[in-house]
Order: sequence, then C-alpha cells, then structure tokens
Amino acid sequence: MNWLSRLRNWHAYRQLRLTEANLVVLDLELTGLDPKRDEIVSAAWVEIRQGRITLNSARHVVNKEVHQLGQSPVIHGVDEQALQQGDTLRAILQQLGSLLEQRVLVCHNALLDWGFIKRAFVQHDIETRPKLILDTMQIERDRLLRQGQTLTADCLTLSACRQRYGLPHASEHHALSDALSTAELLLAQNSQFGGAHGALVRQLT
Amino acid sequence: MTAHVQDVLTFVQQQAPFGQLADSATEYFVEHLEVIYVSAQNQAQWFKSDLPQLYLVRSGHFDLRSENAELITRLAEGDYFGYPSLLTGEPISNQLEVVQAGLVYVLPQVAFDFLRREYKPFEQYFVRAHAKRLLSNHYKESTTSWSERPVSGLMSRAAVTLDPQASIQDAAKVMKKNRVSSIMVTQDKQLVGVVTDRDLRNRVLAEGVDPARAIREIMTVKPKYIFENNRIFSALHLMLKHNIHHLPVLNEDRTPMGMITSTDLLRQQKSDPVQLIGRIYKARSYSEVKQLAKEIPDLLSEFANKIEDISLIGQLLSGLSDALTGRLIDLYQQQHGTAPTPFAWICFGSQAREEQTLHSDQDNGLLLPEGVTDEQRAYFAQLGSFVCQQLDECGIRTCPGNIMASNPACRGTLSEWCERFTTWIHEPTPQAMLNCKIYFDLRFITGSDLLFGQFLHHLNDIPKNQLFYAAMAADINVNTVPIGLFHQFKLQQDKHKHKYLDLKKRGVVIINDIVRLYALQAGISKANTLQRLKALKGRKLLSDEDIANLQDCWRFLTQLRLRTQIDREGLPENCINPGHLGSLERHQLKEAFQLVKQAQQACAFKFARGSL
Repeated sequence: MNWLSRLRNWHAYRQLRLTEANLVVLDLELTGLDPKRDEIVSAAWVEIRQGRITLNSARHVVNKEVHQLGQSPVIHGVDEQALQQGDTLRAILQQLGSLLEQRVLVCHNALLDWGFIKRAFVQHDIETRPKLILDTMQIERDRLLRQGQTLTADCLTLSACRQRYGLPHASEHHALSDALSTAELLLAQNSQFGGAHGALVRQLT
Repeated sequence: MTAHVQDVLTFVQQQAPFGQLADSATEYFVEHLEVIYVSAQNQAQWFKSDLPQLYLVRSGHFDLRSENAELITRLAEGDYFGYPSLLTGEPISNQLEVVQAGLVYVLPQVAFDFLRREYKPFEQYFVRAHAKRLLSNHYKESTTSWSERPVSGLMSRAAVTLDPQASIQDAAKVMKKNRVSSIMVTQDKQLVGVVTDRDLRNRVLAEGVDPARAIREIMTVKPKYIFENNRIFSALHLMLKHNIHHLPVLNEDRTPMGMITSTDLLRQQKSDPVQLIGRIYKARSYSEVKQLAKEIPDLLSEFANKIEDISLIGQLLSGLSDALTGRLIDLYQQQHGTAPTPFAWICFGSQAREEQTLHSDQDNGLLLPEGVTDEQRAYFAQLGSFVCQQLDECGIRTCPGNIMASNPACRGTLSEWCERFTTWIHEPTPQAMLNCKIYFDLRFITGSDLLFGQFLHHLNDIPKNQLFYAAMAADINVNTVPIGLFHQFKLQQDKHKHKYLDLKKRGVVIINDIVRLYALQAGISKANTLQRLKALKGRKLLSDEDIANLQDCWRFLTQLRLRTQIDREGLPENCINPGHLGSLERHQLKEAFQLVKQAQQACAFKFARGSL
C-alpha cells in the first residue's frame, strides 16, 4: 500500500463510528518498560466487532524465546512451564500482524505497547501498520483535562479509569484480563462520548 | 485457540445454573459470549425484537418493562433476560430501561440451543424461570415481605473501619470522606466499638473533648450487631428495642461487613404497597399526597407479579384510592377549618365494589345531614370540587358521567339522596336502571359512619316493587354471554379485524348485576360482589351451589381480565383473544360463560316470571 492510499484510508477510518469499526484490543506482558532492553513475555488480545467484544476472538500467546523473565513472573504468573508451551515471537507477530492490517489497534497506554510491537515488527521484518491506534488512557486523560480536573499520579491506571465508569472490579496484571478490561473501558468511554450512535473514531483519537 | 478470560469464567461459574453444570458447559458459554455496554443512549441498537438472545447482566441496573411499560422486575448483576423469546420463539415484547449503564453478556440463540440440548439442568433452569415469570409469582422470595429477606441485601457499601488508636478528628475525616454517619472500630479485624456522628456531637463537642484523643475513649464499646444472614426483621427489631440507628453487620467469622442504618430500612419499606397506604395517611401536604400517588402504577405492576391471586389488586387499588381521598379531606379540613356539620364521603361503582383498576374513574358523593344550611353547603361544595380535582391530579380520572362530589346533584342530604333513589326505583327507565347499577354499589370512605348507617337503613326501607326487580332482571338479560349455540365463542371484531372477547362487559359485569339484584332483594348492604355472595348464603334466594359457582366464575373472569391489563395484546381494554389461551383455560372460560348464562336465565325466571 502506498502512502497516498494509506492516507485516504486513515481519513476514511476517522469518519467511521466506533461501533462500525473493527478493533483489536491488545495488552502485552513485558519484562520491563524499555523497548530497547526489555522483552515481550506474552501478548493477549480480544476483538471488538460492531461494538461487541467477541470472547471467542480472545487469544493469549506466550513468547517462548523470552530470555530474561526477571521479576515479572511474580506479577504475570507466567512460569517456565507456560513458556515451553509458548510460540516463537515471530509466529506471534505474524498472527498479530495480519490482524492489525485490517483493524484499529486499541491499548491502554499505547505508547508503551505500540513502542514494543513496532520495534519487534521492524526487527522481524514484518510490515504492518494498524488502521489507527486508539489509547483508552489518552482518551481518559483528555476527558479529565477537559473537565478541568487535576491529574493525580495513579488516576489513569486501568482500574482507576474503570472505576470512574462504574465498571466491575477485574483482576489486574494478567494480559488477557487487562485486554478485556481495556475493551470494556473503551465501550464505556464510547457511550459516554457519542450519544445514541457512539462516538466517531475521530473524536477519540 | 480461544483463550478463556479467567474473570469471565469465574463470574459465570458463580451464576445459576452453572454451579451444577460441568466445567465444559461454562467454558462453552463463555467462549460464545459477546460483551456489550448498554447505556440509555445506545440501548436501542442492541435489542432487536426479531433476534432473540440470552442476556446476562454483568454490571449496571436495568428495568425490565412489559409492552405497556409496566415494571416487571429490576435487573442487576447476575440476572438473565431475553430467555422467554428464546424458549417460545415469540418476538420479544418486553422493553429495557437503563437505570445505570453497564456491561451485559450476550449469548446467541445457536449457543443457547446447544446448551439446552446438551445439558439438562441448563434447560430446566430456564424453562422453570420462564414458567415462574408466566405464573406471575416469579418473585416469591420478595413476596415473603421485605422484612423476611437477609440483611446482606441491604448493605450498599463496604465496611468503613478504623483503629481504636485513631484520633477523633481522623474518625470525622474518614466519615466525611466516605459520606457515612458512623464507623466501626476494629482491632485485629474484630469489632470493638462504634462511633456515630451523634457521638461526635454528644460525647466530643458538647463535652469539650480534645479531637486529638483516641476514638477508643468516646466510642460505644461492645455495640449491638447482627449477622449478614439474619433477617431484616431481626435488624429492625434490635434497632427499635435498643433505640439505635446504626447496626454493624458481621459475617460468620465476625468480620465487619458493613453498617445498616434506620434510613436503609425505611427505604426498604417504600416498596411495599401496603406501606404506601400508610404513608399516604401520613402525608403532610397535597403535593406529598400527589407525589405518593405517582408511585402507585409502578408499585402495582411490580406487586402484580408477586402475588398469586391478582384479584387482590382491585382491593389494593381501592384501598389506595380510599387513602388518597381520606387524606385529602383531612388536609382540606386542616387548612380550611373542620367541616361545619357531620358528613359522609361515599364512593360508588367499581371503587365501592373494590374492583378498581388503574383506568377506573371517580365515582363519589357527599352525604349531608338534614337541615344543612346554605352556608354549610357552600363549604361542602368547595370541599367536593377540591377533592375531586386533586384526585384527578393523583391519576384517578374525573367521571365522564359526573358522578362526583363536585356535582351539586351528588351532594345531598339523607332525604335528598333517598328521593333520587326512590325515583329510579319507581320509574325504572333505562337511564334509571343504569343509575341503579352504579349507585346501589356504595361504600363509606370517611366522615361520620353514623350518618352513613342511617342512610343505608333508609335505602333499605324504600319499598321496592316487583316491577323494579323485573326491570333490573330484564336489563341484565339484555347483555348476552358470548357463547353460541354449539358451545362456541361468539367473538367481536374491532376495526383492525382483531377478534376478541370482552371479559368485563360480557362476563364480570353480568355477574355483578345478578348478584346486586339478589343482594337488593335480600337487603344486604355490602358492595363487593364476593362479600355479597357470602352474605347471600343461607338466605334461600340462591342455592349454595349457585353461590359457589358464581364466586368461582367471578374469580376466574376477574383474574383473566386483570391479566389482560398486565400483558396487553393490542386489544381493547379488558378483552382477550381466546385463541391465545391454553386449551384448559379455553375450556374453563366456556364453562364459566355457560354458568353465567344459566344464572342469567334463572334470574329472569325468578324476577320477571319468565315473561321476557
């Protein structure tokens, strides 16, 4: 795809209603926060089609090539055994890549997740770019700032954001749970934004 | 391969019927779920009447309403809806109203059908749930009165606790932050005391205690408490007995779970129709009366789902109307001075028979003593107009026939009323017969029952000749039962070509008329049809068997009729399409009409000597 058709595409996507778009909500488990040094432990995602989170699209894949688990098993619960049953990072990226080609990517704090994914794609020479990237954290930050609220240190965590919309408590720091939590948060944000038909994708980016 | 989201699995596992099913069923269910976020703005897009699906509420609150917007139930976390259409294949008729937006799990029909086929308990669970809703006693649990339910259902927030060493000021801050009026003081997770805002006033401020001191010094030590699975009734009892407004709730390990307050309990009482009557009688202003009247339709439709004998609804509504009327009259007297003479406010027609429905209009009048002056009449004229208008604003429509205390003809002295009745009895024109049917069903509401008693006495003494009874019997026989020659229903048709039976006009009304006639003959001064029948026992006018038959028919038809008001099929009021009944009910209905027909003929024979 050349850049011109990409631009056209991007523009068209921005005019779409969120409930008409196909999205994939991604969460990564990482060994740390630095894309240059740290690794992807696992990736989990779930799709939203026409405003419905489809649970049979939920995937959770572990990168069996991860070198340094560091202290993260404590948080993520990924142990050696889970690693052995995992996929190669290339296989994971290929799966994800073909998915992203046709969809809008959604993350909570996209800066971090997209930073890792983009770098991994480049390293594995896979060319993919999502239609658009939505960031539920960014959406929430903008919303709070618009309301003139001062942002506190942890007011933008996934669970803090969910609480504001009255969403039920969910377990944290498990990639798939977090992906679903993010997806649910996006639907709640969308409904708050956009009245009867939901928000335009443009309003959320 | 699809991965399972542990949170969803755990949640579903906790819901009936999955507790009794194999894990594979739960997994299948979860795999086929879709999650949607339902809000007031977007709800229209989710529920298509031609696409039945199973819905399970994950968060938020939703009101399920029937086609004519009557409340069926409030849905919250863990409640299913949508299954009736999945089971019956009929289009969805209920509507959802979003009280608080939230997440809803959606299971498509194919997956639902698979689970039904593969797992018997799953099938049974939903079939039963459906049957229960149909039988209108779905909410059995809640019928056993709110006070029977466990305390745990009352607690809306988690326990707010503090250490005994915390300062008084800290306690105040925590209470402010959590917006509570009391906190529990705990040590090693065990309750050791309670501090309420009253304590802060009486034991701190009034005594000049330093707020920096520990709450241990001012708390109530060894407070009363209750366990979460105790009944609300017990909580109420404890609070009344010890005159306390805050009661800590503990679980079985004696860990504090939360606090219930007297306000929580009051809020509970609100949802009970009988309590509503009590609250109406205590209302302090017209606007409060009207405010309470607004709760009637909602309450009633919810109540209708809870009780088995829905003919109680008529009694309840009449009770509510009585309360509204009585309270309005009291309030009027408080404002404009006590009535200058004794009087009696009476009601006629359906309110008197205690057969009122939500659509019934007002039929009432004022009975005044002999020798009332013009000045006094002026007072009652104003009282009458005022009360009728307020009742109208409360949702009880004014009477098109102007049978209301606001009409001078319906405000009369004892002899004036008797004169009206005498005219109708002695000149039985069709209009007079119509009046008899309304005015002879009368009941005392408020004022002087002595005056009303005298009136009943006089009414009974008006000589009634054979001509009058014959005319009434003739009038009853004008109205025919909708049963044809070969025991078939004779259906009416409206302009939309819907065929229907009018249960009220051609069933209930005929029974009412027949029973009224016998009651007049026997001098029974009751208005309610069942009570009249009961009083007729042993009077030799009707055999015991006839009485029992009429009672049964009346109950059956009334029940059916009220049900049509609850789930309307787009037919005129009080009408049904017998084609939509089950075969047993259809049979019963024919039987009932047949019995009414016999009673009608017997009545004609007895009073009109068969000369019709």
